[in-house]
Amino acid sequence: MALVAVNHLTKKYKSSDRKAVDDVSFEIHSGEIFSLLGPNGAGKTTTISMLSTLLRPTAGTANVNGYNVQREPMGVRRSIGVVPQELALYAELSAEENLRFWGEMQGLGGAALQTEIAEKLELMDLTARARDRVKTFSGGMKRRLNLAVGLLGNPPLVILDEPTVAIDPQSRRYILDYIKELHAQGVSVLYTTHYMEEAQELSDRIGIIDQGKLIALGSWEELAQLVGQDETLHLKLHQVDGGQRLAEALSTLKSIHQSSAHDGEVVLNVKAAEVALPFVLAKASELGLSIHTVEIREPNLETVFLHLTGRALRD
Amino acid sequence: MRKLITLALKEVRLTFRDVGALVTMLVTPLGLTLAMAAAFGMGGSNTFADVPVLLLNQDEGKFSNFLSAVFESAEVSALLAVETVSDEAAARARVDAAEVAALVIVPSDFSQRTLPFLAATESELGLDLTTLSQTEVEALPPETTQRLAQLYQQSLASERDPVSIEIYGSPEWPISTTVLKGIVAQAVERLNITIQSTTQLLSRLFIQGGGESQSLAAAAGGGLTTNVGTTELPVRLNIISPSGRPFNWLDYISASMAVFFLMFTVTSGGRTLLAERVAGTLPRLLISPTPALTILWGKMAGTALTGMLQMCLLWGATTLIGAYWGTPSGVLVAIMMLVLSATGVGALISAWAKTSGQAGALGTAVTLTAAALSGSFFPRVGMPAWLRSVSLILPNAWGIEIFSALQSGQGLVDILPLLGGVLLLTLVYYAAALPGFRRQFEG
Repeated sequence: MALVAVNHLTKKYKSSDRKAVDDVSFEIHSGEIFSLLGPNGAGKTTTISMLSTLLRPTAGTANVNGYNVQREPMGVRRSIGVVPQELALYAELSAEENLRFWGEMQGLGGAALQTEIAEKLELMDLTARARDRVKTFSGGMKRRLNLAVGLLGNPPLVILDEPTVAIDPQSRRYILDYIKELHAQGVSVLYTTHYMEEAQELSDRIGIIDQGKLIALGSWEELAQLVGQDETLHLKLHQVDGGQRLAEALSTLKSIHQSSAHDGEVVLNVKAAEVALPFVLAKASELGLSIHTVEIREPNLETVFLHLTGRALRD
Repeated sequence: MRKLITLALKEVRLTFRDVGALVTMLVTPLGLTLAMAAAFGMGGSNTFADVPVLLLNQDEGKFSNFLSAVFESAEVSALLAVETVSDEAAARARVDAAEVAALVIVPSDFSQRTLPFLAATESELGLDLTTLSQTEVEALPPETTQRLAQLYQQSLASERDPVSIEIYGSPEWPISTTVLKGIVAQAVERLNITIQSTTQLLSRLFIQGGGESQSLAAAAGGGLTTNVGTTELPVRLNIISPSGRPFNWLDYISASMAVFFLMFTVTSGGRTLLAERVAGTLPRLLISPTPALTILWGKMAGTALTGMLQMCLLWGATTLIGAYWGTPSGVLVAIMMLVLSATGVGALISAWAKTSGQAGALGTAVTLTAAALSGSFFPRVGMPAWLRSVSLILPNAWGIEIFSALQSGQGLVDILPLLGGVLLLTLVYYAAALPGFRRQFEG
């Protein structure tokens, strides 16, 4: 049986005409890292809010560890650890006090909680700062503590909502490595991100979500097959406002499968970069645009996203 | 229950680690208490004593003697140090220099215009009715009695403007001037009543005639100048408690400031629910295996506990500087009930406010209005009855009523009806808050 089973899950806010999550279905198996990849506002956070019982679905069902999110919310809550995107910590409390408080809210207590607090502090390399107030921590330290809180009680499913947003590379690496360690321990992880390289590095399977809809689902290899052997050309222009014109002009060329532009950068899906590049340079010259850099990338999730939506992941 | 206690203790810890909150909760009320007590009087003695006042009595008659008698009475002489003067310009200069609190000026025609009949009998017949005994009045010859009746009827027919006593007060002695004004106003009111009753008696004597009425006239006339001054004033200025402890500002302001700032604490405590939603800690709490109601009650309990600690600390600190709040058992129960009620106000605001900022603005508005309406800055006894009644929709007013009762020597049993009122009010607050919270948690 799947640890998480989501069927036709839909959420429509009263304040909006469109659905934030639209008929989404997927499963997460035990011991699996499942990533929801999509741009900001795609519906990732709304999906995990419903899975963690914070929001009531408008339609569809979801079960976590055998518990229905609407009918058995307490069972679901005992089965999950959530690491929210915001730093949901009390700045005036110390790291240890935060862990104790959130541990008690999870129903932990006594010597078991004390042991777990020490373990988590050690794991997150925060033992030396255990008694310092969180308000004195760096952004990365806060992120690590935020993660530690989500892991209290060793739940079978850990939900991480963009845990690496706005942190230093060292802390980011720390968190990614720790997630791999969790995976090695057999913990299931639901990971949301808009960084395609994180999803690609961590995930057993990836769901690509855009405008509330799950548009692709599978392992990286399965998703890569969607775009075949396409390569990606990244062009940076000197003229920031020329990207859109160039992308539109290039979209008529046969050798270019997809094109998009953002802030003077043009991303192109091409069958063979060495074939397409002369045409691209000629078209840029024709439009009076000068190219600053050209980068050729192997097929990746960004290529997949571009292929599926016609837009770059960060659009 | 364990989670509820954990939540409550977390609230207390967060509040007591916030320097800004500590300044609002403890430092400011203590500072204001000390400042106001220093301005209006501290300790167990009367707040006002030996206020320097000048009396310029220019009256050519005797009726103004009532004022001297008032000033010399035991009750007033403890408050005012009255100096009789004769030079108006010099006296006004002393007031202008704030050397004295005020100057009381009785005009020269005061007696003449107060009861012209008595003045006329003295000037025409050489009779001073105010000094004659009952027997002497009865012994007057018939022609004199007849003339007295004529003079009396003439005095009724003549029109006269009200006579004024001027109080020239120094702006630098505002409270003392107000007190003096109150004393003189009460004395004048008493004089007016006496004049009216005297007029009625004289009317019966000289218009209706009769030997029995003559004695009444003598009694009324003879007692006029002394009755007003020596009779106890209908409203006492100084509030003396049954415990024998006189009213003092330190007692009053200690409790009223504590209640005032308790409202600040609980309204900002309620606001933390909205702030936690923004900070992300409330959603994290809501996805922990903790029922929403436990979270809500835990936060409320934390706010109430913070309020309790605040009130107890202020009680202790003000007691150390000489304030008296009442019997400890009464004070403790009163604090508990008031904190619960005030927390209800905080809950009501945070339940219906949409944002933390909105809750903050509402909380400040409610707290300041409640303080002004409830007598946080001045004794409630001086407020109009309707305002005293209206203000009872707020915990501040109940708090001040309760602590005033305790400070006047009443015990826990005596304040039970007041505590019942607070309980009722508290239930209303929470009942009104509940739908708002339901809306928030379900949204």
